[in-house]
Amino acid sequence: MVENRPWLSLLTHLVLIVGVVVVVFPVYLAFIASTHGSGDFMRGLVPLLPGPHMLENYGRMLTQGISTAGAPPVSIMLMNSTIIAIVIAVGKIAISLLSAYAIVFFKFPFRLLAFWTIFITLMLPVEVRIIPTFAVVANLGLLNSYVGLTLPLIASATATFLFRQFFLTVPDELMEAARVDGAGPMKFFRDILLPLSRTNIAALFVILFIYGWVQYLWPLLVTTDSRYYTVVMGIKRLAATADSEPLWNLVMASVILAMLPPVLVVIFMQRLFVKGLVDTEK
Amino acid sequence: MATIDLIDLKKNYGNVPAVKGVNLKVADGELIVLVGPSGCGKSTLLRMVAGLETVTSGRIEIGGKDVVRAEPAERDIAMVFQNYALYPHMSVRGNLEYGLKNRGTPRGEIDRRVQDAADILEIGPLLDRKPRQLSGGQRQRVAMGRAIVREPAAFLFDEPLSNLDAKLRVQMRVEIRRLQRRLKTTSLYVTHDQLEAMTLADRLVVMNGGLVEQIGTPTEVYDRPATLFVAGFIGSPPMNLIPAASLSAGENAGTLRLGAETDIVGLRPDQLYIARPEGDVLTLAGTVELLEPVGGESHLHVQIKGTEQPIILTVQGRPKLAEGDTITVYARPEDIHPFNQQTGRRTDAN
Repeated sequence: MVENRPWLSLLTHLVLIVGVVVVVFPVYLAFIASTHGSGDFMRGLVPLLPGPHMLENYGRMLTQGISTAGAPPVSIMLMNSTIIAIVIAVGKIAISLLSAYAIVFFKFPFRLLAFWTIFITLMLPVEVRIIPTFAVVANLGLLNSYVGLTLPLIASATATFLFRQFFLTVPDELMEAARVDGAGPMKFFRDILLPLSRTNIAALFVILFIYGWVQYLWPLLVTTDSRYYTVVMGIKRLAATADSEPLWNLVMASVILAMLPPVLVVIFMQRLFVKGLVDTEK
Repeated sequence: MATIDLIDLKKNYGNVPAVKGVNLKVADGELIVLVGPSGCGKSTLLRMVAGLETVTSGRIEIGGKDVVRAEPAERDIAMVFQNYALYPHMSVRGNLEYGLKNRGTPRGEIDRRVQDAADILEIGPLLDRKPRQLSGGQRQRVAMGRAIVREPAAFLFDEPLSNLDAKLRVQMRVEIRRLQRRLKTTSLYVTHDQLEAMTLADRLVVMNGGLVEQIGTPTEVYDRPATLFVAGFIGSPPMNLIPAASLSAGENAGTLRLGAETDIVGLRPDQLYIARPEGDVLTLAGTVELLEPVGGESHLHVQIKGTEQPIILTVQGRPKLAEGDTITVYARPEDIHPFNQQTGRRTDAN
């Protein structure tokens, strides 16, 4: 649609700019705050230009953390978050691919029941079943461990459902051709189905990585040892200090650091991500 | 190189029989076409031979070996699918190689066979392309290439040309024929297109309702259809089937000798004449209902007294006839195909 109405374009641009400002300004403020000294934010007038303490603040958070707040260095928490987000994303994709493969391509008794059982777990995310899940994890002695942090989050159906829908669009003849060509079930899965799901896997990886990254409630419950803290829950601890003002400059430095990995994942996988959501290579 | 024997082969889906007992002996190097309307069981039959459908009862022997329990890959067959079923993420070369790699064929051998197949099908320049970069006809060639490189005992074709446009279909039909003649590989070919069936087949198997109606060479099937179904199915326009009573009435009685059990007679549209031919004739009086010019010839629909359906005859050129004209149609007694309505079979069978 080609239109030439200057007022309309002005208005639309204005709306867009306002939207961008609303989203970006807090992030900008966080970045500015992370470059100032400790007292600068308490003086009433909030600075809007970068200050001189950037390297110092970031260096301190990455290596030492704030011991009074009971938080380890951000580098440890970043590492934990990265491990957990990757394990959750990879684990979820792996079990979803396999279960969707079984449900779509094989005939076995109670196949439909199996599908619906998996599907029903969609209605029961971790937050809803958090008490029983915590009890199970605690009884298994998995508190303060990577297994305890990731396993309950891996076991859910979202991705199974998505892969099932994708597999249903793969023509049966493809599997039959592979059978005639001498490919067994796992070979067909590895040689044909997996490469075809590549873009879907990439899209899901981005979504699930961020899902794992932003987990707050569950890590808060199952970790008491600061070695297993994740960055998202760690920030909360940094901000909630007992007898003093929070060190906002340092908190904001951690916030910026916590934001970086998801942004990087999105940027680097964007091409595949969009492709996976928009079209399939058929 | 192998024979294929089907012995009393049956397939039920639940309680619904799809194939009701088929016996067929395919000689080495023969191209057999299974033809019939949709739902007649021809595809099911082919898929059973391929090993993609389980067999309810009966036996399948390929090269004298019972393969009913064998996996598709163990049957030494190659199949060409209707939608080609090329692996979309692999190059053409990858598609051709895949089956050979799975069998552990040595690298040099794979390269040689792929090159040979590419030469035969003239797809050499396409080897590094992906299937989606190919046209329909090219995909069809690649699908055939995938079958050829395996050098199997038998080719199975499942309506391989039905996704192509009419012109390409004719061209590929000729190529398949030439290729099969050259490789002399035993082939089973499924189609619902009778023209494809007639031109390709060494022998035709006409199927209907899960049963074989007739097996024979295309000319045999055309010249002596064994059943009413075959008579109506093979030939375009189809054979005219007229109640025998309407023929033997009146002046025609003398020239016609039909058995007592004959109550329907068939007449090919191209064996009916508007000009009186030599020798004994049979005449039918009627009125022209429709004249369809189809290029070099015309289809004349004539309503005969005492029948419900008009009969169709093919006439050379464009006869000067108008709708509503009364004409006499001639047929030769030896061109008559006598049938029995009850059994659906030919009554002069030897």
